[in-house]
Amino acid sequence: MSLDPRLVMSSVIFGLSIGGIYFLLAIGLSLCFGLMRIISLDQLLYYSIGAFVTYSVGVATGQFWLGVAAGAAAGGLASLAVERLIFRRIYARDPTFSMITSFGLLFGGIGIIKFVWGVVPRPVEVPTLAQFDVLGTQIPVYRLIIVGIAVVVYALIWAFLHRTIVGKAIRAAIENVEHVEGLGINVGRLFTLTFVIAGALSGLAGGVYAPLILVDPMMGLEMLAFVFMVVIIGGLGSIKGTAISALIIGQVVSLGSLIYAPAAQMAPFVIMLAILLIRPTGLFGVALTRR
Amino acid sequence: MPADGPVLDVAGLNAAYGEAKVLFGIDLCVAPRQIVACIGRNGAGKTTLLRCICGFVKPLSGVVRSHGSDLIGLAPYDVAKSGVKYVPQDKKVFYDLTVRENLELGSYASGDRNWEPALNYFPKLKVHMDRKAGYMSGGERQMLMIARALLGNPRLLLIDEPTEGLAPGIVSHLREVFTDIARKTSLVIVEQNLPLVCAIADVVYAIRDGRVAAMFSQRSEMSFQTFEKFL
Amino acid sequence: MTAAKSLASRALSWWWGIAATLLATSLCAVLLPTPFMNEVMIFAIYVSGCNFLIGRLGFISFGQPAYLAIGAYCTAFYLFYVGTNPLVGLGVGVLGGLLGAIIIGPFFVRLRSDYFAMVNLALAVVLFYVTQKLLVSITGGDNGLWFLTQMQSTPLLDLTAPAQFLWFAIIVATAVTVMFKYLDGTIFGACCLASRLNEDKLQFIGYDNFKIRLVAFIIANTVTALAGAMYAIYFGFVSPEMGSPSRAAEPVIVTLLGGVGTLAGPLIGAFAYTGMKDVISNLIGNWELFIGFLLVFIMLVADQGIWGTLPPAARALLVHLRRAAGRARN
Repeated sequence: MSLDPRLVMSSVIFGLSIGGIYFLLAIGLSLCFGLMRIISLDQLLYYSIGAFVTYSVGVATGQFWLGVAAGAAAGGLASLAVERLIFRRIYARDPTFSMITSFGLLFGGIGIIKFVWGVVPRPVEVPTLAQFDVLGTQIPVYRLIIVGIAVVVYALIWAFLHRTIVGKAIRAAIENVEHVEGLGINVGRLFTLTFVIAGALSGLAGGVYAPLILVDPMMGLEMLAFVFMVVIIGGLGSIKGTAISALIIGQVVSLGSLIYAPAAQMAPFVIMLAILLIRPTGLFGVALTRR
Repeated sequence: MPADGPVLDVAGLNAAYGEAKVLFGIDLCVAPRQIVACIGRNGAGKTTLLRCICGFVKPLSGVVRSHGSDLIGLAPYDVAKSGVKYVPQDKKVFYDLTVRENLELGSYASGDRNWEPALNYFPKLKVHMDRKAGYMSGGERQMLMIARALLGNPRLLLIDEPTEGLAPGIVSHLREVFTDIARKTSLVIVEQNLPLVCAIADVVYAIRDGRVAAMFSQRSEMSFQTFEKFL
Repeated sequence: MTAAKSLASRALSWWWGIAATLLATSLCAVLLPTPFMNEVMIFAIYVSGCNFLIGRLGFISFGQPAYLAIGAYCTAFYLFYVGTNPLVGLGVGVLGGLLGAIIIGPFFVRLRSDYFAMVNLALAVVLFYVTQKLLVSITGGDNGLWFLTQMQSTPLLDLTAPAQFLWFAIIVATAVTVMFKYLDGTIFGACCLASRLNEDKLQFIGYDNFKIRLVAFIIANTVTALAGAMYAIYFGFVSPEMGSPSRAAEPVIVTLLGGVGTLAGPLIGAFAYTGMKDVISNLIGNWELFIGFLLVFIMLVADQGIWGTLPPAARALLVHLRRAAGRARN
């Protein structure tokens, strides 16, 4: 079977952009797990909130990027509230415990979104319709912008974790919370900060992805399985692993649809099973110590 | 520093893990510049005692005071900030961070940027500043843990089994360091190495089944033979 | 022979509880509307699989709709394409579930419990895709498969008649409960519990953790598939909606609602949940909002479930009242 190279080219870009979205969502989930040992499904709620706020602010002001900023901020604020009210009480418990709680939050949040915005899917206008010519293939500039945002976020997070003292404390706490506390560092604050960063990134992901999909209350659930697979393949708690696996899954989904569209949705699952068979903690998963 | 009262005053401390009670009315007192050693079998409750003092385990009842201020109910990081620092047994430095970064974290919490005094105890660390801490030997990791805890000039260090599994050379080096540190900082050391205890301790508490079985504060009482029966 | 004897003697020791529950359920069956009771009974069977996984194995699965769908679709395939006897259909569904669990199990039970929870949810999503989009030519996609009128009536209890189906469901639910109760008392049940509490020590004393988990997984999910098959027969219809991942939390919620690991938990939870769902959906229509925050509430406040929370709470209240009364007297 021969594929049109131009089709492949645009497919690769498509895959990169969707991989970027996966990355923005999965990195929060992965960091939260690494540091707090929680599985925070409610990140997908902040993703939906980000998208809806982007929509509303965009409609009100006509400024898409202002909307995205507001969406990320809304995601961060919502996650701050949730962390203070709920997660703070359950850090000490088993990860699956937090998973159930966050599933409840995700659902309750969907209920609130339905209440506020209704169930009708909303379209968000693409901020730029410009196309970009790569070897005779027309690539939408907006897709490249998404890829750019994901790369910048990766770089910023890396720099934050390796170059700032707070980031170093977070890395240390991923290894051993108790020792960080023993040095006199308030670990609760690190938890809050990490959770809010994750929430804001999820909100950002919802905002930038909004123009390419329809914004509806269930959008988080549709994303859930893919984000999960990205996190699992990459290994919980690993930033590098998350980035690599987001890249892979993005390409599998987009290039896969060129070959046989329905199976493309299945392929990541098969890959996940295969990787779990070889390494039950994913590609770069941290070996967990009990706390 | 409010100098009234001993550096550490523990009275009637009771603690439990879930249903299992571990400590039964422990009394313990540490004066300034004193080295206090706790000896006892595995499972006697020595580690739990240290963890209670520094806030990782919430005691059922009892008093823990440092210079007259109450430590019970404080979060572990507040206890550490108040100048009572804990060096756990596991020698788990932050493996993924360099030696420098490990020390930076000690500075970050205490605000103390002067590493010279701490590093002077352990010149070896100066050579390995940019090495990942996970690549170091057990002895070097122990040194790093102590150096890290010394930043901010704590008034009391609680050190759990510092010499466990270390080579004799390093043990004797640590022995000198401990005596040096004690010129400024009080030390509570949980230790099974009796010769070391005999050599440096001012006061020895023998702990058995969660109780203080005996206390020795006279040099003349301290001998290998006396202590041995508590192990 | 001895096995049968010990089974009989053990059955005697707790048959009172079973009989009482059976009596209460039968009373409800007579008094409450049949469709409601049918849903409660099938739901209770569905949940008891999940309850076993959580309570005995410590594995929380957000993928139960997947196993439910496997059972339902196998039954539906048989009744839609091949035969007309619902009992055979039921058998096919259970067999399908058994096969599915045998194939999937070895992959999943090796995982740590948090990965297990996530992988199962991913499975549910993927299976939802398969039934909805990938195999449209066989499953009919969102239109589903409809075979209500194709089923022939069965002797003794006619499964095509809802009122008689209810008695069948009660019998099956009782049988499932008895089976789980029996398993609890066996060495296998003890091993399951041990593997939840400390897998290393279980290995040390010479049991294969993997095998125990695998068998438990297969049992639990075959029961789940059985519930799926019963749904298919009761409704005479299956659609992807049945295995929808948006309902993935339901069995977990109901397990928690009823009280994890308790025998009566699934039944009580199913009662409470189905009842609430009917009432709330009619009242405010925003079911997600309610169930989501109910779940959070359960997790934060009452994680012992109805069965585990109410009696102690009632006792505490009683003590409190008595004290208040005592003070008033003084």
